[in-house]
Amino acid sequence: MAITKIVEVPLVIAEIPIGPQHPALHEPLLLKVYADGEEVVKVEVNTGYNHRGIEKLCEKNTYIKDLFIIGRVCGICNAVHTDCYVRALEYLLGLEPSPRAKYLRVLTMELERIHSHMLVNATMAEVIGFDSLFMQIMLDREKAMKAKEILTGNRVMADYIIVGGVRRDIDDAKKEKIKDLLLKLRPRVEYYKKVFEEDETIVKRLVDVGRLKPVDVTLHSLVGPVARASGVRTDARAEDKYDAYSEIPFNVVTRKEGDSWARMMVRWDEVLESINISLYILDHLPSDGNAVPDEKRLPRIFPAGDSYARVEAPRGELTYYVMSDGRSTNPYRVKIRTPSFNNIINSAFMYIGHSLADVPVILTSLDPCISCMERVTVVDLKNNTRYRVTVRELASGKV
Amino acid sequence: MTRPKLIELVLKNLFSKPATVQFPYQKTDVEPDYRGVQYADLTKCIGCSLCAIECPADAIKMIKIPSGYEGVNKLNKNMIYPLIDYGKCVYCYRCVKVCPVNAFITTNKYDIAGPSKPTSEELSLSTLKKVG
Amino acid sequence: MSTKAEIFSKLAIRTEAVKPKRMVFVIRPEDLRKVFEELIKAFGPESFYLSTIVGVDLPAENRMRLDYYIHLVPEGETVVIRTFIDRSNPVIDSIIDIIPGALAGESETFDLLGIVFKGNPYLKRGFFVPVDLVQKGIHPLRKDSGV
Repeated sequence: MAITKIVEVPLVIAEIPIGPQHPALHEPLLLKVYADGEEVVKVEVNTGYNHRGIEKLCEKNTYIKDLFIIGRVCGICNAVHTDCYVRALEYLLGLEPSPRAKYLRVLTMELERIHSHMLVNATMAEVIGFDSLFMQIMLDREKAMKAKEILTGNRVMADYIIVGGVRRDIDDAKKEKIKDLLLKLRPRVEYYKKVFEEDETIVKRLVDVGRLKPVDVTLHSLVGPVARASGVRTDARAEDKYDAYSEIPFNVVTRKEGDSWARMMVRWDEVLESINISLYILDHLPSDGNAVPDEKRLPRIFPAGDSYARVEAPRGELTYYVMSDGRSTNPYRVKIRTPSFNNIINSAFMYIGHSLADVPVILTSLDPCISCMERVTVVDLKNNTRYRVTVRELASGKV
Repeated sequence: MTRPKLIELVLKNLFSKPATVQFPYQKTDVEPDYRGVQYADLTKCIGCSLCAIECPADAIKMIKIPSGYEGVNKLNKNMIYPLIDYGKCVYCYRCVKVCPVNAFITTNKYDIAGPSKPTSEELSLSTLKKVG
Repeated sequence: MSTKAEIFSKLAIRTEAVKPKRMVFVIRPEDLRKVFEELIKAFGPESFYLSTIVGVDLPAENRMRLDYYIHLVPEGETVVIRTFIDRSNPVIDSIIDIIPGALAGESETFDLLGIVFKGNPYLKRGFFVPVDLVQKGIHPLRKDSGV
């Protein structure tokens, strides 16, 4: 058949802003996704919607007031932020808290890791569309929140750690209640891990999506469970051995596959490890030393110098840099580098080549620190119309 | 899942009660040492203003004790007491722990939402005896 | 530790320490790219990652200090590479083509402190700072910014 007419079809690349309302960490993020049909060709990351100026604010308040400000940087990881800042201050002073205080600090941080990992797995289930699993995981997460309330006085905002130790002590009745809750939680977590391994929908959506090689992980500075799921064996708890981790036996969980499924499985394994660590602490709490320092006699002026502390937050490696000039009651420089900062901003290369329905799956597997996704606006360049699409429709591939 | 297991699960869920707590009608289960609303006991307060200086949220102001109340601590020379604005307070309990005479009373009350701005005025003044 | 010490001490002017016991190597700003290239050659790109970039404004000494924190995975240690650049003309080479993970740190330092990284095509002013401050041309973390 002879060629009768040559028709030129313009190639339309749609720009889809996955808008500031929905994803990421400490700041709502604008992901501009450039998609050719269903396939993603380029992603640009825009930030700046929720910058609260915390580093500048810390330079205007005293060291101890900063402690409470720092605790409110992030809702889910507030205990690890406070712990890192307090340890940076303790390195400046050369002070070591008593062993009982160290064990109690680790207990708070592990309880927080349990409830944070359950939250992100529930969010992943919701993004896929598996709403009943999301509700079930949230119901069991309440046990971890209750344990945190018994220990620190508040379900979410711990405000528990202070220079020299912790703020409240724990007695035997509370220990029994926390142990009881954790023992009830453990078989439920094992069941959820089995669901993630065997359920067909989850396996089909998550396996082979967003595969990362180890050399990509280190060149792009990705940290936390994202790195451990690709085989890079780095965990700040095992390396720095801060607080009481030098005395508590635990395993660093790694996997070889490097895709979204491996990232979620690393998190479930870490929850089981955290439950074991917490039970070990409750059985072996040392009873020497007073865990609670006298809050009326905290130091006001810190000696000159700078210190750098690292901690393993649920999302990765969190670092604090504190510099003091030895003369004023305010720090000279406080620098916070949160794990989601590296994970989300440096990961724009991971989306290329996947279809549009995989974008929320990859983003949730990187664990942005806000647990709620809003609507997406799709701009259709050909017809010049705009219509709103819910994330569920986007995730099920109907767009 | 094979069929017999599904039937067992369905029957179990059919006959167990739902997990939601109908909040305004049923109270949620809060620990007795939950960090809730706190206020100053004016029979012990000496008016040193340390709580106002140390508050990270700047939620405490020192105001004069109105006339017509007795029972104020003798050491409170300026007759001032801390007024906590519960809208700004973050319930970190720094004021409770830094007070030199331990004059704060802590509760586990958490429901302060209402039509007017809540402050600690009535709670603090209720620790004194009204005269005249 | 021996190969590390050789690489660093070749280019380092002096060494200090950041508590607790982390080694600091002070280098000249021109040698920055060479240090990273040597690191990749000696250790391979899989065994270290750039943890964070910290910029400090020192108006009293009329210069700015940049710290690059590198985490070595097999040993589990963090080392610091420190350079000083002039405050009136803060320009330094960007390492984004060798280590793409520096994108986040460099963008933030440019937006908040005003240090220009030559060769980084992604630098822009509204990255973190809200729009009204960008229009006034202020870099908030500088000590004389008045924020």
